[in-house]
Amino acid sequence: MKNTANNSPTGTEIAFPGEFEPRIVGFLCNWCSYAGADKAGMSQIPYPPNVQILRVMCTGRIEPQFILKAFERGADGVLVLACHPGDCHYKEGNLRAAQRQAMLSRVLEQMGIARQRCRFDYVSAGEGEKFARIVTEMVAGVKQCGPLKP
Amino acid sequence: MKTGVYFCNCGTNIADKIDADAVKKQLEADGRMSWFETCPFLCSEEGKEFLERDLKAKSPERIVIAACSPREHETTFMRVMEKAGMNPYLMQMVNIREQIAWVNKDPAAAARKAALAISGALGRVALHEALQKEALEVAGAVLIIGAGPAGLKAAATLAEAGRKVILVEKSPVIGGLPVLFEELFPDMECGPCMLEPLMGEILHGRYAEHIELITLAEVREVAGFLGNFEVKIRQQPRYVDVHQCIGCGECFEPCPVSAPNPCNGNLDEKKAIAFSFFGGLPNAPFINPALCTRFTDGSDCTACSAACPMGEGIVRFDDREALLERQVGAIILATGACLYDCSRFENLGYGRLPDVRTALEFERLLASNGPSAGAVVTSKGLAPRSIAFIHCVGSRDEAHRPYCSGICCQVAFKFNHLLEEKLPEAQIHHLYREIVTPGKQGYALHSAARENPRSTFRRYGDLAELSVAEAEGGQKIRFGEEVEIAADLVVLCPAVVPGADARQLAEMLDVTLDRFGFFEEEHGRLEVARSKLRGVYLAGACQEPADIQRATGQGTAAAGFILSEVIEGRTIELAPIFAAVDAEKCSGCRVCNSVCPFAAVNFDVERGVSAVNGVLCRGCGTCAAACPLKAIKANHFTQEMIQAEIEGVLG
Repeated sequence: MKNTANNSPTGTEIAFPGEFEPRIVGFLCNWCSYAGADKAGMSQIPYPPNVQILRVMCTGRIEPQFILKAFERGADGVLVLACHPGDCHYKEGNLRAAQRQAMLSRVLEQMGIARQRCRFDYVSAGEGEKFARIVTEMVAGVKQCGPLKP
Repeated sequence: MKTGVYFCNCGTNIADKIDADAVKKQLEADGRMSWFETCPFLCSEEGKEFLERDLKAKSPERIVIAACSPREHETTFMRVMEKAGMNPYLMQMVNIREQIAWVNKDPAAAARKAALAISGALGRVALHEALQKEALEVAGAVLIIGAGPAGLKAAATLAEAGRKVILVEKSPVIGGLPVLFEELFPDMECGPCMLEPLMGEILHGRYAEHIELITLAEVREVAGFLGNFEVKIRQQPRYVDVHQCIGCGECFEPCPVSAPNPCNGNLDEKKAIAFSFFGGLPNAPFINPALCTRFTDGSDCTACSAACPMGEGIVRFDDREALLERQVGAIILATGACLYDCSRFENLGYGRLPDVRTALEFERLLASNGPSAGAVVTSKGLAPRSIAFIHCVGSRDEAHRPYCSGICCQVAFKFNHLLEEKLPEAQIHHLYREIVTPGKQGYALHSAARENPRSTFRRYGDLAELSVAEAEGGQKIRFGEEVEIAADLVVLCPAVVPGADARQLAEMLDVTLDRFGFFEEEHGRLEVARSKLRGVYLAGACQEPADIQRATGQGTAAAGFILSEVIEGRTIELAPIFAAVDAEKCSGCRVCNSVCPFAAVNFDVERGVSAVNGVLCRGCGTCAAACPLKAIKANHFTQEMIQAEIEGVLG
């Protein structure tokens, strides 16, 4: 498992010299949390660049395998952000995602992946600040954990 | 694969933070990118023309657009692609403005992040499929279930616009509850008088030819979806030709049998052939087969038919149940509500004590066409000396219905006002938990009741504090330990609750109910006239307790939605982002059926596999994630595409 990007196909250098810069994949739903991330942008609230955002229509689409795949391909952390309960565009996809997350976090612990490396939370379209705060906390938390060793 | 990357500078918005050349350089090593073009404003007219020209000139197989949020301009660029002759789903947008340029201070970090995001998009877009939008032709007719104020208003609005309306009503008459009320809050307008012009429009008006009214009927089966519903309606026989009958009522008197009249709270009796009530429309009686001796005993009685001044054939004993089939493009549910069962409150004596009545039964006592011809009397036929109204029976009560029903206070204060005239000497008591009279007219009856010197008001905390018991000449209400109130007549104001058939209809249509059993609206503030199911609309008290104002407004709103989005002959374009089951892989476990929030995945019993209805599916992808065999493909968000994107963004 890779934890630096020196041998990446894009040839990109991700790690800053001297400090561990975690790579985090964020799965965001189109209607609430992705819009919340846009809101952080519109409000120009700075947050660390470590999270790469993947848009899905609903967090209900997220297969646990996607999260495992991200860890396998070198992510140090995974973020899943859903609509608040009751606000899901598809009624209850966010609740399915929450159920799957509860199950997955046990599996991850058994695999030796610390709990704080995979965070599930709710962000509405208006919560730009909350989104920036979650990313900031997540990056700091994963930095403390250090690179995810194979 | 020929893949072009288009990088929008968004003026200085992106260019100031992300150096396009640095991004280009990082991506070139990758080899998956065929060209990299920058543009000052890709969404501007010049930008769109440039993109269209470039697509036509280079004919890429896939493109990636790095610009603003796809929530902003994805559809803009998809339209440009269509104009250039390219399938619009062969594109992936990367949000480098909101999610990178505007939130990063360090240009080097921003460029790295943008390059990785585009790398993810390149991986993903290679797997994109040229999805095709499906088009569906729309039927213009509209089914309205329920002919109360909400359904009538919707029917009149649609008919005036030239739309065919099928109006199904389960009772023999139209008008709903308010036609039983001679005076309505807030300003004592006569209910039947107010609704008569609207009912007249429906029955005989200029646009009535567009309306097919089917009384004594219920919807038995619904199949299909927005634009194309197949509906089966079962109509009970009326045994009277509604078009030829003149409604004179000569047939009632000779009828040899009668039974308690539910329309008047069983306070009087009704013959086997009768109106629901005098003045009901359509103006034709019906025969109750549970009562008429021809049906109960097989007699050959023809007393009613013989008395008919219009001659033979108006009363039709050979009338039969009919099963009607109709095709409609949209459905409005306007089935109304009913009142909470007061016999659940043992302490209030309803059903046990003869002079404990519901507000609806009291309404009939007040009505001139009611059982006492408008005289307010007790079960012994005496004028009551005192009347107690118990408000909030079941409403604002965690053990029953936590919500305020919103209409009962006004009804009780209306009664107070009417009693000032009818029984000027009577003492009136209001026992309430809360008083709620919102709106610009709601205060007047409340103020008048407060000013009535013979009215008293007492607030209780819980209905359990009250007990109603028989006393000499009437009832007494014990209130707590000390207070005792004499009441010759006790009137309960029950909560408004969903109609008895709401659940059955919900199951038939696959629309959802809220936690109280009302039909659930698409959105509580913005979309109350829409259900969660496309093509099914909601009007009136079946969605939430409603007064006439709210019900008719919602009926008009539902009609408006239909006029703007369910248009005959037009085609409905269906976004191709839906799920599809691979029948070869499906084991028939039906997990997908249970997780779908829109009942779009159904089990095909014959083939033993599940299948997705592309019209009902909204493309959330929950079923694809749940399928243990990965037999469901979520179009445009397939497992392969998402995994390719994960690999790409991780570099």
